[in-house]
Amino acid sequence: MTRDFLKMLMVSFASALVLSGSVAATPAKETPWLPEAAAYRLTLFLGNLEPLPWNDIEIAWTEPYRGSELSIGALAWLDRVSDIDPARLLDAIADEDRQAVFAEATRLIALRIEEELDRAIAAEDPARAQQTVRTSRELYRAFADGIAAAEPAAAKQIGLAWLELNSSTGSAGVLGAGVTSADRDTMAAARAVISGYIAGNYLIDDFAPRRTLSALPETAVLSGRAIEVPPSLPPGSDIFDQDPLPRLVLNFEEQGIDETGLPLVAYGDMLFDSAQIFGGPARDLGLACSTCHNRSDVNQRLFIPGASHQPGAIDVDGAFFNPIFNDRRNDPLDIPSLRGLRFTGPYGRDGRFASLRDFTRNVIVNEFGGDEPTPFMMDALVAYMLEFDFLPNSMLTTDGRLTEAAPEAARRGEAIFNTPFASLGDRSCASCHVSDANFLDRQAHNIGSVAPAYEGARAGALDTPTLLGTAYTAPYFHDGSLPTLAAVVDWFDETKSLGLTGAERADLTAYLETVGAADEPYEAFDAENTAFRLAFSELITFASTLDTLLPRRDARHILLLTDTVAADLSADASTMSNLAARPGVYALAEKLAEVSAAVRDEDWTAAEASWTAFKAETADIEERAF
Amino acid sequence: MAMHLNRRTVLRLAGASAISLASPLAAQNDRLRLAFIPQENPEKLLGDIEAIAGWLSSEIGLPVEGFVTIDHAAAVEALRNGDADISFMGALPFVLAEAEIGAVPLLSEVYRDAPSYTGRIYVRRDSGIRSLADLRGRDIAFADPISESGYLYPLAEFVQAGLIEAPGTAEAFFGRIFFAGGYQQAMQAMAEGLVDAAGASQYADLLLTPQQQAEVKWIAESAPIPSHLVIARPGLDADVQDRFIDAMLKLNAPDNREKLRYLYGPDGYVRADPAAYDGVRDIARRYGLLE
Repeated sequence: MTRDFLKMLMVSFASALVLSGSVAATPAKETPWLPEAAAYRLTLFLGNLEPLPWNDIEIAWTEPYRGSELSIGALAWLDRVSDIDPARLLDAIADEDRQAVFAEATRLIALRIEEELDRAIAAEDPARAQQTVRTSRELYRAFADGIAAAEPAAAKQIGLAWLELNSSTGSAGVLGAGVTSADRDTMAAARAVISGYIAGNYLIDDFAPRRTLSALPETAVLSGRAIEVPPSLPPGSDIFDQDPLPRLVLNFEEQGIDETGLPLVAYGDMLFDSAQIFGGPARDLGLACSTCHNRSDVNQRLFIPGASHQPGAIDVDGAFFNPIFNDRRNDPLDIPSLRGLRFTGPYGRDGRFASLRDFTRNVIVNEFGGDEPTPFMMDALVAYMLEFDFLPNSMLTTDGRLTEAAPEAARRGEAIFNTPFASLGDRSCASCHVSDANFLDRQAHNIGSVAPAYEGARAGALDTPTLLGTAYTAPYFHDGSLPTLAAVVDWFDETKSLGLTGAERADLTAYLETVGAADEPYEAFDAENTAFRLAFSELITFASTLDTLLPRRDARHILLLTDTVAADLSADASTMSNLAARPGVYALAEKLAEVSAAVRDEDWTAAEASWTAFKAETADIEERAF
Repeated sequence: MAMHLNRRTVLRLAGASAISLASPLAAQNDRLRLAFIPQENPEKLLGDIEAIAGWLSSEIGLPVEGFVTIDHAAAVEALRNGDADISFMGALPFVLAEAEIGAVPLLSEVYRDAPSYTGRIYVRRDSGIRSLADLRGRDIAFADPISESGYLYPLAEFVQAGLIEAPGTAEAFFGRIFFAGGYQQAMQAMAEGLVDAAGASQYADLLLTPQQQAEVKWIAESAPIPSHLVIARPGLDADVQDRFIDAMLKLNAPDNREKLRYLYGPDGYVRADPAAYDGVRDIARRYGLLE
């Protein structure tokens, strides 16, 4: 009897292989990795970064990967379940020999697959055989995308061998009923298919030198063929949206203006959610502006090994996204909120870009390797982002004074906030965080929060950040080094010798928490007003720009839109709670794909007909779209 | 290494240790012993058991101990010999345990407002397969030969459609029948084109990637399958049974729903209706699993 994994089914969907795939706003939650397979995949990923983070590679084998359900790392796990000695791998890591690490790690996984297959063949009861087959197959997953990319026919043959192997293990039945015995000849034959391929490609003495570490089979590498393995993120990565989801405040929307009447803004909204504007690997992984800036704010959970030093931070000029833009400095930044963006320039943590347009182009082209955006795309993105407003806060007047709703401690804190300190050069907190200027001064100051990169460096000045909305954007400072607003107060008190008492620090913290508060910081969902409904409504709004673009016969921007929205509609349908309405959403996505196909054929009549049909079907499904 | 430890042996050791702590082995009324069936990471399950047992203890007013058994058969054996008072159990092993030792159904799990679910036959949208009849001579992957939604019920749809005379003659209809080892493996085999169809739970397509989900559809759905349950050993004190049921039903309250994740993660529980399992008894007889 297999216990039905209803829990897993109901809670999430899972990708069988690796966190990768085509454009989609909806990442797939991964099936957990076995520790050694996770460590291997992390090794491949980290091994392609420059400079190579050797310490992270060691940690990949010694500690559980981030989010792992097991509390032990790969080496301890191996000690528990395997007879394989990882000493040579550890030596290679200690020697910082990249090729040797690749070779030893690859052989170790291959040996583990073989070890579990040996156990499957030797197992006396079907339950044990099935368990070892399952384990072996979960280890094979570490190589699977490389084989599928290089040799689809071999991948299929091996896939069938796994099916054959599992099927021939027999069944333990349930309580003595339904017992069937193993078909050992078939088991041996299926095993031979798998082991033969592993032996020829992953269990060899001398691997060809690797420029790029991947799970490609050795024979494919030796062939010299150009093979593209779909990019993937390693175990421990998290590109899901933050939960709770930040509430988006758009200026026009708060005034009751419908976004469908603002096609440039709506198109920019689409681009903000589109992975298509970036280059690989960000595009292929489905990363968009909104992946880091959920609903114009932050994403406190975002984490990519090797690029993030902690959740909510990322190094966008490292080796992974756009190697040509790799600054070879390990300097991940805490993701900043984009709320009130038109008031917070200059842009970048150090205010390096005076223009939002220049900053945005740099993100697209340099940080994420996208093609040069068109002027229309830039206009649209900027038009949309300029609509980002701060969160309403009934404890604060529009010119930054506390209202009667503010707590008493905050009032006491406000006085401290406005008090000049000799140790601050007779300035106060409010000198930079100007209360009637959205708590910033649009200047860069060196407050000593950046360690000098070299002796004599004068490069530590950072743009004054707003304090608005900060109750929901922890951690703080450019590197996210301070976990709470109280820690920020302590930091200033200590480093600037403010001489605050404990009570004064608490009051100042209360003031910051009050200024940083909001009436409704997060989106509120219920049974029918679901995250999918929100996404659906947005995607339909994005599509509405076709009413403007189709008459203009603007093929380039139409295709960017339809490719984005069709893929997202289809992918987001997997998150619906109303499962019965899913086919309707898939049909809608197909209608949009028909618009794409017609535009590619320059058949504008057909494109408009499909667009009309899309609108009619949308009206039909809207109520059930949750 | 002196011995091969793996998940299964680790579980066995963990279970044995918990059982040994729960001595003596004879049935007692001064404590309640719960048997859990492993289905996932054993370390997590042991932590879950500790959490839920503590909460149940405070609710019921009796010490509650939980332990992991090796499988359903071991759980039933524990109920039979008094090592366990209550066990979590699938529908099929329950009807067999009921017949064999007189096990008593207490609670049924609820998913998406129903104490039941279905099995489905899935195909790829681009396969051109529209009906069960189109699968003649084609390859199919099921989850496991004794899975209700991953084999027994979906296969019964072929019998119902007159394509297969009886479960034992399925080989003659299909090209190949594979047992992939689980829903996800069966669904992946279908989605990747290794086989033409998969038989799995109505929710199994959610185990595919979002892109794959858009590429598959189902062409047949089984009768409702009653969901998994919580069962008691025969002779367990009626008052203890009532207190246990009352406590478990409190998990349906919004404030307690978070605790459901310690218990295989259903949306809630309802009192079990023994008659709801008639269909499972019937299908168990048809497959020769029950006399």
